[in-house]
Amino acid sequence: MRTEAVVEARELHKVYVTGSVRTPALNGVDVTLSRGEFAAMAGPSGSGKSTLLHLLGGLDKPTSGEVLVSGAPISALSRAQLAQLRLRHVGFVFQAYNLIPVLTVLENAMFVLELQGLPLARRRKQALAVLAELGVDKYAHQFPNKLSGGEQQRVAVARAVVSDPAIVLADEPTANLDTKTSLDLIDLMRRMNEEHKTTFLFATHDTRLLDRVDRVIHLEDGRIARDERVR
Amino acid sequence: MKAALRHLLRGRRRTILAALAVFVPVFLLVVFLGMIGGMEKEMFASLTGFDTGHFQIRRVSDRPAGNALPLIRDPAPLLSLVDASDDVAWYTVRLDLPALAAAGGRSLGVVVQGISPAEATFHSPLARAVRAGRYLEPGDEGVVVGQQLLDALGVSVGDELILLGAHPQGAAGVALPRVVGTFTIPDPALGRGLVQVDLGVAQRLARTAGITAIVGYVRDVDGPWDAPRIVDAVARIRAQLPEGYEILDWAALAPESEMYLRIMRPITVAFMVAFFFLGGLVVLNTLYLSVLERTRELGIMLALGAPRRYVTGQVILESGLLATGAAVVGAVVGLGFVLGVEAAGGLPLPGAYEVGMALFGIEPLLRMRITAAEVVLSAMAMVAVAMAAAWYPARRAAALEPLETMRHAD
Ligand SMILES: Nc1ncnc2c1ncn2[C@@H]1O[C@H](COP(=O)(O)OP(=O)(O)OP(=O)(O)O)[C@@H](O)[C@H]1O
Ligand SMILES: [Mg+2]
Repeated sequence: MRTEAVVEARELHKVYVTGSVRTPALNGVDVTLSRGEFAAMAGPSGSGKSTLLHLLGGLDKPTSGEVLVSGAPISALSRAQLAQLRLRHVGFVFQAYNLIPVLTVLENAMFVLELQGLPLARRRKQALAVLAELGVDKYAHQFPNKLSGGEQQRVAVARAVVSDPAIVLADEPTANLDTKTSLDLIDLMRRMNEEHKTTFLFATHDTRLLDRVDRVIHLEDGRIARDERVR
Repeated sequence: MKAALRHLLRGRRRTILAALAVFVPVFLLVVFLGMIGGMEKEMFASLTGFDTGHFQIRRVSDRPAGNALPLIRDPAPLLSLVDASDDVAWYTVRLDLPALAAAGGRSLGVVVQGISPAEATFHSPLARAVRAGRYLEPGDEGVVVGQQLLDALGVSVGDELILLGAHPQGAAGVALPRVVGTFTIPDPALGRGLVQVDLGVAQRLARTAGITAIVGYVRDVDGPWDAPRIVDAVARIRAQLPEGYEILDWAALAPESEMYLRIMRPITVAFMVAFFFLGGLVVLNTLYLSVLERTRELGIMLALGAPRRYVTGQVILESGLLATGAAVVGAVVGLGFVLGVEAAGGLPLPGAYEVGMALFGIEPLLRMRITAAEVVLSAMAMVAVAMAAAWYPARRAAALEPLETMRHAD
């Protein structure tokens, strides 16, 4: 069965240059994520997980190689076009929650929809529905700092999936959470994946999360060491 | 909009500082403009009410008559001309002549001013400056003189004064009026050199039925800002004047005072520009700090795909809200102050100002006057300055790299 590729990396290289120091972070990565996949990326610290996520999401540009989002190459896009791409096609969840502190939970969840230009009534409805699915609708009118870490991260997931992006990229979303909360969060992401067919790719150090995903991509020294289908 | 408001509320101390930086210049400008308006009005009223009128019609002399004004021997045609003018609110006539004032063997050269007391009582600051005795009444046979002249001649209220008229175009006449009152003004030249009598007395001194000037006032003139109306009215009257007469407006009659009135406002406004500039710097600093503090938050917005102009807009919006709010409050409080002072009939000034104010014949009361346009423009000018100050922080915010900002914060 052939499935539609939502994000594709071809011969991806990334070298960070800081002054005279060159740090190779990715050394030729080829990977394809298909619609509806629920994948994890594992690997030791410094193996290039964050770098790959940033390149796939259009937050940074590769040194060489190409990234295709929904079939379209993005290396030639301008900064403004990359912003549009992120706005329309990519959802992000970061390690440190990264909610906007002066916006309420609901406003955070609606933020991307607002930038997309949806009318208020629709974005309210859409955001409230997702918040409810993630069990945080009761905090809709609270500010993020009133919520626990796990709750904030659920709001961040809500914000990432609410606009129905091609892919949600999450960089160690559970790193600041305890085990139970981490597993709950992954289960919730899984449910989002199953119910909305949203594609997920998240980086993690936590091996206990790995038996809950379809696919594990192992990164080592900027290369894909193993790419296994778990289920 | 909500986010911008909440930012302002969150950084409360900083917001208050920046709001003050907007509030204070607007408040001060409104109050200063109010003071200037009040002073302009008082100075203008004093100058034109006592000395120059809004305009004067005089005879042009071919033979210079010393420092005396040439006589208008038959004022009737001029008076009917002024009567017929729609521009003129009211007028009075005056006969000024050089004279000798003597008492008890001492004598001094003075200018005798023959006036019509009925009108002067209302309009002349001299009438208000009478400290001992009383001012002239219609048909009065007495004289009012400055305290300095009384002292110089060694007479007091109730004593007789000998006046010898010496108009070069008139015949010498004599009058023996009683001193009915003295005025106290700080200008020694006027205090020693000016005496006022009823027009009839002055005409006897010059043995003439003539006058030296018609002193006129134009309709709807409230202060120097209405001066163009005077200019227009004067031009219309000038066109009808018979040969041999001239009409001069207040600016021509008292050029120094007119210039003073003209530069007072620009100087103050220039001075206030410095305040606006300082206010703008504080706003800039505040917004800049707030952008630095929110680096991460703005970075998240950019990472999520917010266009750069959205981020710029946030900072500008914040500045706009802050500046508009503070400027409106500053303008309203300033206006309240000005109106309050006026409602109280003016603010007493400390003693040091008394002399200076009296020089212009103004009471040592701070009067205020402001126009709606001045209030609105003051506020709008400061808002514009604050918005300009927001430009740099806004640019900085938009130039953030989302990945950089998130790395720093982790
Ligand atoms: N902005 C940067 N400038 C220079 N070097 C960088 C930069 N970002 C990452 N690197 C380097 O690139 C390599 C890969 O980093 P990356 O953050 O992608 O690894 P990671 O797998 O996410 O590690 P971790 O598990 O610690 O998050 C590392 O050697 C890192 O030091
Ligand atoms: Mg990482």
